[in-house]
Amino acid sequence: MIDLLATRYAYVLMFVLLGVGLYMMIANENLVKKLIGVNLFQTAIFLFFVSVAYVEGGSSPVVPADSNPGELLVASPLPHVIVLTAIVVGIALTAVGLALIVRIYSEYGTLREDTLREVRSDE
Amino acid sequence: MTDPITSIRPLAAVLVSAIAMVLIIASYRYPNVRESWSVLAALAKFGIVVSMLPGVLGGDTYRWSLSDSLGVEFVAGIDFALEADGLGMLFALLASFLWIFTSFYAAGYMRGLDEHAQTRFFAAFAASLSTAVGIAFSANLVTIFVFYELLSLVTYPLVAHNEDDEARIAGRKYLTYTFFGGGVFLLAGTVMIYWLTSGIGDPTVAFQTGGMEAVAEAAGEEDNQIYAQAAFFLLIAGFGVKAAVMPLHSWLADAMVAPTPVSGLLHAVAVVKSGAFGVARVILDVYGVETIQDLPLSVPVVGEVGLNVPVAILAAFTLLAASIIALRKDHLKRRLAYSTTAQLSYIVLGLSMLEPIAILGALFHIPAHAFGKLTLFFCAGAVHVETHTDYVSEMAGIGKRMPLTMSAFAIGAAGMAGIPLVAGFVSKFYMLIGAMDVGYWPFALALIISGVLNIAYLWPVVYTAFFESEDRHDAKPLLEFPPGGKRESYGVMPGEQDVATDGGDRDADEDGESDEAADEDDGFAVDMNPSDADVPFGPPAGDGDDARTEDTDVHNETDHHADDDHAEHGHHHGGAPSGGWKRHSPFSESTWLMLMPISVIVTGAVVLGVVPDHAIFLELVSFVVEEVTGEVLP
Amino acid sequence: MSNVELIPVLLVVAPILLATLPIVLGLRFERTGWSVTALTTTGLFAASLILAQRVYSTQSAEIYGLGGWDEQFGIVLIADQLSMLIVVLITATAAGLLAFTRLAGPRGNTFYTGYLLLVGGLLGLTLTGDVFNMFVFLEIVGLGTYALISSGDGPESAVAALKYLILGTVGASIYLIGVGFLFMATGTLNMMELADVIQNGGLDDQQLNLIRAAFAFMFVGFAIKVAQWPLHTWQPDAYQHAPDGVTPLIAALVSTVSAYALARIMFDVFGPEFLIQTPYAREIVVTVGSISVIAGSTLAVIQQDVKRMLAYSSVSQFGLVVAAYGVVTETALTGAIIHLIGHGVMKAGLFVAAGVIAIGYGARTVDEYAGLAHHRPVPAAGMAVLLIALIGIPPSVGFIGKWYIAVGAVEAQAWSVAAVIFLSTMLTLAYAARLLEKMYFTPARNVDPGSHRSTDAGSPVATDGGASSQTRGSPDAVSLGMLALVVSVAIIAVILGFAGDVFFELLEPFVDEVFN
Repeated sequence: MIDLLATRYAYVLMFVLLGVGLYMMIANENLVKKLIGVNLFQTAIFLFFVSVAYVEGGSSPVVPADSNPGELLVASPLPHVIVLTAIVVGIALTAVGLALIVRIYSEYGTLREDTLREVRSDE
Repeated sequence: MTDPITSIRPLAAVLVSAIAMVLIIASYRYPNVRESWSVLAALAKFGIVVSMLPGVLGGDTYRWSLSDSLGVEFVAGIDFALEADGLGMLFALLASFLWIFTSFYAAGYMRGLDEHAQTRFFAAFAASLSTAVGIAFSANLVTIFVFYELLSLVTYPLVAHNEDDEARIAGRKYLTYTFFGGGVFLLAGTVMIYWLTSGIGDPTVAFQTGGMEAVAEAAGEEDNQIYAQAAFFLLIAGFGVKAAVMPLHSWLADAMVAPTPVSGLLHAVAVVKSGAFGVARVILDVYGVETIQDLPLSVPVVGEVGLNVPVAILAAFTLLAASIIALRKDHLKRRLAYSTTAQLSYIVLGLSMLEPIAILGALFHIPAHAFGKLTLFFCAGAVHVETHTDYVSEMAGIGKRMPLTMSAFAIGAAGMAGIPLVAGFVSKFYMLIGAMDVGYWPFALALIISGVLNIAYLWPVVYTAFFESEDRHDAKPLLEFPPGGKRESYGVMPGEQDVATDGGDRDADEDGESDEAADEDDGFAVDMNPSDADVPFGPPAGDGDDARTEDTDVHNETDHHADDDHAEHGHHHGGAPSGGWKRHSPFSESTWLMLMPISVIVTGAVVLGVVPDHAIFLELVSFVVEEVTGEVLP
Repeated sequence: MSNVELIPVLLVVAPILLATLPIVLGLRFERTGWSVTALTTTGLFAASLILAQRVYSTQSAEIYGLGGWDEQFGIVLIADQLSMLIVVLITATAAGLLAFTRLAGPRGNTFYTGYLLLVGGLLGLTLTGDVFNMFVFLEIVGLGTYALISSGDGPESAVAALKYLILGTVGASIYLIGVGFLFMATGTLNMMELADVIQNGGLDDQQLNLIRAAFAFMFVGFAIKVAQWPLHTWQPDAYQHAPDGVTPLIAALVSTVSAYALARIMFDVFGPEFLIQTPYAREIVVTVGSISVIAGSTLAVIQQDVKRMLAYSSVSQFGLVVAAYGVVTETALTGAIIHLIGHGVMKAGLFVAAGVIAIGYGARTVDEYAGLAHHRPVPAAGMAVLLIALIGIPPSVGFIGKWYIAVGAVEAQAWSVAAVIFLSTMLTLAYAARLLEKMYFTPARNVDPGSHRSTDAGSPVATDGGASSQTRGSPDAVSLGMLALVVSVAIIAVILGFAGDVFFELLEPFVDEVFN
């Protein structure tokens, strides 16, 4: 266990973050906070990718313009690209989610899910 | 056997009524045109089927298949194929022949009651016949499954026709039972056969006269035996639902809420016989007699028995139990329904004895029962249309109101009971011989006992119709006494008592129908008297096409609500009008649309019984048995 | 012909690019969305037919590497026997549905932007040959779907869309974790490369564990997207509250394409060998599917709202598909794909019919459907035929899928799956017959169906149709095109019932390759 914490702490942290995000999403009644939970959940995954790409002693995977850069020890570039893309997607989703929340608020006047349930069941 | 002749005729026989269905819907505004489509389609269908008969009896078969004509298979490795062989012809010929008369009768019946949604009724009826003939001509298990499912589907509107709660519940029950049989058991059995045969070569589900070789081979392997047995019982159970073998029978009695032509042609002939026919296909053309015998089922205590024995036991039980239940049914159609349940089990029992003569008897029982039972249902329907009487206990003396109808009923009942000179005798005779031949004494005994029971539940109807009068009739045993007995006789129904005592207006009657009054105690023709008009009593015969009065409609509805529990006797409006039945001659008792079919069908039943050799069915049946078992029988 | 090789790219890129057009043109012209979308989808449909013709006639997959990169690094699009069937389904449905949305709405140029975006995303999801790219397309599909669902009038649709957004994002993210594990184990994201590594053995224990973890995450992710019990909760809300014009599209395509993607991952990437070797993998997949069949149908029976009932029915039908995946035989896989397509066609038709009935008759609940056959015979008949097809009564596309799945289950001697499949007929019958009975054998009562749910996601057309149409719907709001659409889908569902062997042969090369 200790060994795991010492050597694989990045993964452990990532799963802790994942859990926090998931819990927030499920347990929190506030819609905005739910969305924040989703974001946290996603961020954990991004961190996971970045830590996967880590190479012992490597630098960031930015290749210099030099035509012959020589021996370079860089982190794997692919996960970084993936994370960049995923971040963009995540932002788009958050934007749509927030837009929906704005609409819900303007219609029902509440952001809390339990109140929302009450309001809807009254109809 | 020679190669099948490629022909479009089997398909045409199926499609002709499907096309009629479209035409019926299209001409919904013109009832006469609509009904003539039914009749035309029936005639065309019968013509097409008959045109193949000589060839089939000569040993040819006619085949149409999707892949031959369009180059597509239905599902991988399985063709959608129709083939007219001997067994298929038997069923197709029967269904298409009886449809001709049923379509007249249905027109008379539906108009006589001024039913709603007649277009839907006739369309669904045509579609049912289409699928029934499809079942007859199916060349493999998948094709028969397709038509079997479609048959369940298109008969549903007929069962739920009345659109009241009772009809809807009956419809639900009907769908549940039939789809459990078709969609679950039959499909599972078919898939099992497909899988079993794929183990020894190309998978196949195509019927083969005398049993599929691939199935025999697959079943021969030690590991597969249990699966082959499971598949057998799945298939039998699948078809057994429609054949109303207990414990899967209870839909049939409920389905009697349907209009009588439906109960007659579909729930005594086309639908239920498709189940019995399917059992025949499974026993004769999928497994084959020998394979079934080679698949012993080891039962604790008893030891090894053939696969057929459990089926036979179930059938024997059904025919006894259903007959006993029929004794207690006061609602005539329900009584007939249980009789159908029993009679269908004759067929299943005869087939499952695996003895050529018994198979002959069983197959011949298909047309024999069809003619007899159709007569009975037509009579019940005619009585319903003319007098709104549904209960046996109210039919006392009805023989003078509907002499021809009730005479036909008597003959049909005799056929059911297996009395010589009527169709039912011939088939039961063969089955009895078959049972004794192989030493199945218990089954022979069951057949005989059931014959007695048949008389016990059908004779009272005839007796009460002809030999009792409205105000003086015995209480029916089993019906009107609670079990254990109660002293009561010469009773009059409580509902009738008040009515009967007011005696009818004798003077008024004398004016109208004086010559018929001589042998009557009191009253007749009260329908002429407005003061008694609350009793539903159709206008005089001959004008069945006319729209009936409004109260006829009301009564029609309430009749269907009535339960057959005889506590309800007082609440419905059947039975003799106050003052008793009016005497009618055979020609004026109902419309020709209904009398003609009754006369024709009952004549058919007698012809089958007196000269079976000359009626084509026996020849066809012995041809089938010869092909299947190789034995030449009379 | 080099043009054909470009078609896969065009199929994905064209709708996404053209999605901007309705907005741009909308600045100047009032209603261009429909025409732009109609042109685009028709073009896509034609293009997909050409491509399909090529793929099936040459019996080889079209593989297109984007940007000329090596397969190992670049993104590829794969048009093979499997994906083309789905592509044709997508383009045909997208084009056909426009006949409904033209009058029934939702209207507005932004709606059509979302429509095209969704179609592009779906096509991309179908054609992609890269597991990460699949995630991106999953999210694009998600975005399109959320936008379309929330385009309904009522606030309910926004709530439903948000619910779907949260669950859908989690599903896609869980899938992404799986991608991460796969990448850790193999160092590649290309499906063909992955298949090479996973299926050709030589994996050490650590790699195998990673791959198993990857499979678990990916399956759970897709289980959300495909709406498998107990992760289905978003679906009924989304289907019910989405506008009538949107529900057919998402019901027919979104979950279908996700289920297709699951098949792609399970069979193309991991391979049958892996599924059989991994302890409990098949059992879990089968159990999830089977429970979904039973739970979905049971819940469908007790629903009052017709669209909601059909949504639960989707849960159960996809359960059948997933259970068939879990059987892992050639026949069952073929059956699953056929059922996927068949279900897409049938559900599209059913939801269009439900939409037509809602705007033409004002009926949304099962009780309100009473007497429908008498008053609106055509949509009622169309719906009846499709329901019957859904039960699996032959000849219909519902039957052939079920047939192959059943045969596959029996072949694998998976008796419990076989039992569930056979019993699913009865379960489907339970809710289908309920509706049939209402439509045909229950006389209409004089109730005012619109009153208590006037705030519900209704059709915009009904509201501008005058006062009377608000309560009972107006037949005038139903165009000939809508009725033609319902009728033709019903006819297609029946005709496809005879195409069992055609489908089988189209899929055979793919299935053969997967299993050998």
